[in-house]
Amino acid sequence: MSSAMSVALPSSEPPPPRASHLLADYRPPAGGVDEMLDAAGQVRPPWRGMVESLGEIDHATLAARWEQARRVIRENGVTYNVHGDPEGMSRPWELDPLPMLMPAGEWPRLSRGLAQRATLLNLILNDLYGPQRLLAEGLLPPELVFMNPGFLRPCCGWSVPRNRYLYLYAGHLARDNDGEWVVVADKTRGPSGAGYAIENRIVISRMLPEVFRDCQVQRLAQFFIAAREALQELAVTRGTPRIVLLSPGPTSPTYFEDAYLARYLGFGLVEGGDLTVRDNCVFLKTLGGLVRVDVILRRVRDEECDPLELPRDSAHGISGLTHAARNGNVVVVNALGCSLLESHAIIPFLPTLSRYFLREDLILPSVPTWWCGDDAAKEHVLANFDELVIKPSFPRPGVGAVYGANLSSAERQGLRDRILAEPQNYVAQQLVSGSTAPAWNSGELRPSHIALRTFAFAVGDEYQVMPGGLARVSAKEDSLGDSALGGNGSKDVWVLSEGPISPASLLHPAGTPVVLQRSTSDLPSRVADHLYWLGRHAERTEGAARLVRSIIARLTSETALSSPQSITALLQALSGQGRVRPEFAVLFADERIDQLESELLAFVFDATRSGSLAAMLASLHRAAAVVRDRISIDSWRILNGLRLELAPPLSADAEVPLGDVLSALNRLVLDLSAFAGMGTESMTRGPGWRFLDMGRRLERALQALALLQGTLVIPEADEDPIFEALLEIADSSMTYRNRYLTNLQLAPLLDLLLTDETNPRSVAFQVAALNEHVEALPRGASQLLLVSEQRITLATLTELRLADVGVLAQVDASGQRTKLDQLLGHTADELRRLSDEVTKHYLIHAGPVRQIGEIRPSG
Amino acid sequence: MKYKVTHTTIYNYSDQVPLCLNEVRLEPRDHRRQTCHSHKLRIRPEPTRVDRRVDYFGNHVGAFSIQDGHDRLSVTAHSQVEVAPPEVPAPEATPPWEEIRDRFALGQPPWWLEARQFIYESPHVPIGRPQREYALASFPQGRPWLAGVLDLTQRIFKDFRYDPTATTVNTPVAEVLVARRGVCQDFAHLQISCLRSLGLPARYVSGYLLTAPPPGQPRLVGADASHAWLAAFCPEIGWVDFDPTNNQIPGTKHITLAWGRDYSDVCPIKGVLIGGGSHRMRVAVDVLPLDEAAPAMER
Repeated sequence: MSSAMSVALPSSEPPPPRASHLLADYRPPAGGVDEMLDAAGQVRPPWRGMVESLGEIDHATLAARWEQARRVIRENGVTYNVHGDPEGMSRPWELDPLPMLMPAGEWPRLSRGLAQRATLLNLILNDLYGPQRLLAEGLLPPELVFMNPGFLRPCCGWSVPRNRYLYLYAGHLARDNDGEWVVVADKTRGPSGAGYAIENRIVISRMLPEVFRDCQVQRLAQFFIAAREALQELAVTRGTPRIVLLSPGPTSPTYFEDAYLARYLGFGLVEGGDLTVRDNCVFLKTLGGLVRVDVILRRVRDEECDPLELPRDSAHGISGLTHAARNGNVVVVNALGCSLLESHAIIPFLPTLSRYFLREDLILPSVPTWWCGDDAAKEHVLANFDELVIKPSFPRPGVGAVYGANLSSAERQGLRDRILAEPQNYVAQQLVSGSTAPAWNSGELRPSHIALRTFAFAVGDEYQVMPGGLARVSAKEDSLGDSALGGNGSKDVWVLSEGPISPASLLHPAGTPVVLQRSTSDLPSRVADHLYWLGRHAERTEGAARLVRSIIARLTSETALSSPQSITALLQALSGQGRVRPEFAVLFADERIDQLESELLAFVFDATRSGSLAAMLASLHRAAAVVRDRISIDSWRILNGLRLELAPPLSADAEVPLGDVLSALNRLVLDLSAFAGMGTESMTRGPGWRFLDMGRRLERALQALALLQGTLVIPEADEDPIFEALLEIADSSMTYRNRYLTNLQLAPLLDLLLTDETNPRSVAFQVAALNEHVEALPRGASQLLLVSEQRITLATLTELRLADVGVLAQVDASGQRTKLDQLLGHTADELRRLSDEVTKHYLIHAGPVRQIGEIRPSG
Repeated sequence: MKYKVTHTTIYNYSDQVPLCLNEVRLEPRDHRRQTCHSHKLRIRPEPTRVDRRVDYFGNHVGAFSIQDGHDRLSVTAHSQVEVAPPEVPAPEATPPWEEIRDRFALGQPPWWLEARQFIYESPHVPIGRPQREYALASFPQGRPWLAGVLDLTQRIFKDFRYDPTATTVNTPVAEVLVARRGVCQDFAHLQISCLRSLGLPARYVSGYLLTAPPPGQPRLVGADASHAWLAAFCPEIGWVDFDPTNNQIPGTKHITLAWGRDYSDVCPIKGVLIGGGSHRMRVAVDVLPLDEAAPAMER
């Protein structure tokens, strides 16, 4: 992968030079078409404004802004998950700072051509899922439909609202060898990229505001406003229409975009498990019950949308969705079955079909394409491998595009044999070199190959084309492919305007009266579940970090050997929680300090070790990733930035001073506190916040109970160091000193850490908060009596209130604090039961869906 | 022949099922030789509604959901069907098989578009060299189409052993071809695969077969089974049924429920559910000839 366009690089990359110097070194390849320079090496007129405007920004400013932009991308966590990449979740989106300009004179024809193409594709879908006249009249070979796995027979014979199958269309454009724009691929399934386009626009227009203004760039927001309004008009029910964006979830390559678009358009982000079909209508499962859904903007593959009727049994789908759509009770966007037209084999037939349906020629030609099911086309393909890219007619796993010129003679023969055996399964396209445009590359401008992804959306009876798009850039011309986001970077696309620009923003649509809303109970149960676990993971990580920090602080201080009991006791607490091996706790007693240190380092940094701090942090990152659209942007930034980093970084075998570890832990604890503060200060007190906070409270109580139990039940000879450590871990030393000065005693300590409801670190405080939360959870009006979770919190709170810390502090005849042990153990058991009850009542609305065994004819 | 067919499927679940959605293809479709005089679907617990529709292949589909908790689901289809014997032409009078293959491969007159969709691969029916080579033994050059298909039917009947333990719903055709064992569904898929691998249209038929009781014993109620066979297409004649499991051209003992590209298009009962724990399923099919009045056989 070229490092050129990566924004993920460390910040040591040299800054872009002054724009006026940029041109001096920019050399597009000879014989190709460059977007910025003409054949004589002169800047093309449409680009002059930008080049001049860029030139007015001095070097340092430009460099600082680019750093800032890269930081925004990192902090916003713009990602594109790469298939098969285990680290895919964290691969940042790669953006080039220089936009691609689309001259005002060129755009209208492209725009008309894309709208025409979308119109035509929609007409073809209407025919193939309806009367199939194209087949009967011989205008389209039946192979392209009957062999096409995208042809969904359950979707035939019923019409979709307004005969609209295709809502969102994406056309892939590249310049052919003559410099004309041609369509390389049509994306009809529910194409991705529009969200990345708007994100790119926001980043680049902030980085280059004066350039953006000077260049008269057409705005993107109007396109999204129109799309949103069009979807709202589709709503089946009156009143407030409910539109959801159906995503395959966080493992999907484009989950970031799904979440981003949902938030930008103001639609709920859901996964298959959040929706259910009752009485042929689709409902969202929420904490408060089922809520009807009118429109589903889907990012799930057609064949995975309905395990009951469609071919693939997938957890992403909704059983009964096809039948609900068939009954007109929900609108699916794009309609089920649209991926039929993603086959490249359709392309050669489009000119004829355009004349048939529209009585027009295609405004925008396709790249020359040959379907080998046609004998003449097959002969052409077999004779011209070198100039072609050969693809399967219908996408199949493991079969990709092949560049004829790159084949060895053996591979050539193999492909030839396969084409001859199954000609219908192959399609070939002319290689187009595409154009180049300047891209930022290690301190200078280098030509990079460009392909455009453009978008159109059905509004009323026609298609509106987004004045912009996603330019995908690649150092090599053949790596752009036509996959969702091939290539290795992207550019913002600036469509220039000759007239004035009317600003519009989706965030403040003018003149639309907004219905005031307060947080309601229609939070999807799944999201509540995720928030609950986010709270638990955050607190668990913080608790472990505090505990290990206290241990390391004691090991590194000079007083270490003078208070060995506290270290032993804390180590025992660590092993008592199952975090480290039990023998770990005796290492210190044996004075094998070296071994202990390396064990502690492993506990902190080794993510492969289960229960380690690093592993907890990884769980926390995962928990945050799945709810990132539900937490504030600042909260996300904090979580996304959480790191256990040593400064300077760890080299391979170097000794790590424990002091450095200590400061890394300090930073982590601070960041986690900042996240907790965000939860307190920035979240509305809706059910989402309640579940996040319940997770946090429950985990904090369990941690505190385990720590007290692990250190106090069996008394040490000198307990003062232990008491000090406990106060420190619970961040309560100051409070204790204010109340009792330096007189360390167990009873007041137990009061502070266990039963004092005013100390936000005490167990009683957590239980009181939990009690308040379960009171406030939505429940049916018929439930007048206390529900089980209310009983648990009330009983536990009462038990803590009635506890006598003086009695609990006493050591009995067995030499232990048995009463304390019982209270701590019982409270922990009850809290675990509370977690089960809450999960049962609110979080599991339904188990996994499965198919019942099919009966086969046994005759 | 007139029949009364009763097809019962009962699911028992170890845990409550709060929601299930189902699609059934249990209503016999009409065709040239078959008329369904009456059909009733009885479902317990009773769903709020049963939506009836006709699918892509013209089969009757009933869709229903049960939205209240249940630990048992029973679906019973009662149908009265009349079946007429086929008119089978003399095998030698049918056109050479290559002629049919070539006409499907080359031209596309609209009148056989309906059959054309049955020459391609489908989820349970691959097209491949092994099937093609197995089939070719029955299709020497110039052999009349019907003679070839009948020979292939007979070879599958002879070469393969009926063995319900050898395969499942998902055993691929290629494995069946190697193991030479299976049930009616496997044999039907195999023969369809053989014919399509030669470029000849063939479709899957699901239905019932009247079974004769062992000599001297009364017919047992519920002992019949659902059955599967295939049909192949010749432009001059239309669709002709073949039953490789019993080496015959189905006559009046075969009752057609539905047809499609393969089993996945015509599964008699398909459902998805939530919960339920483990489940046990019981199927009983009873084909009662109405002409032979035999009161002892009634329940």
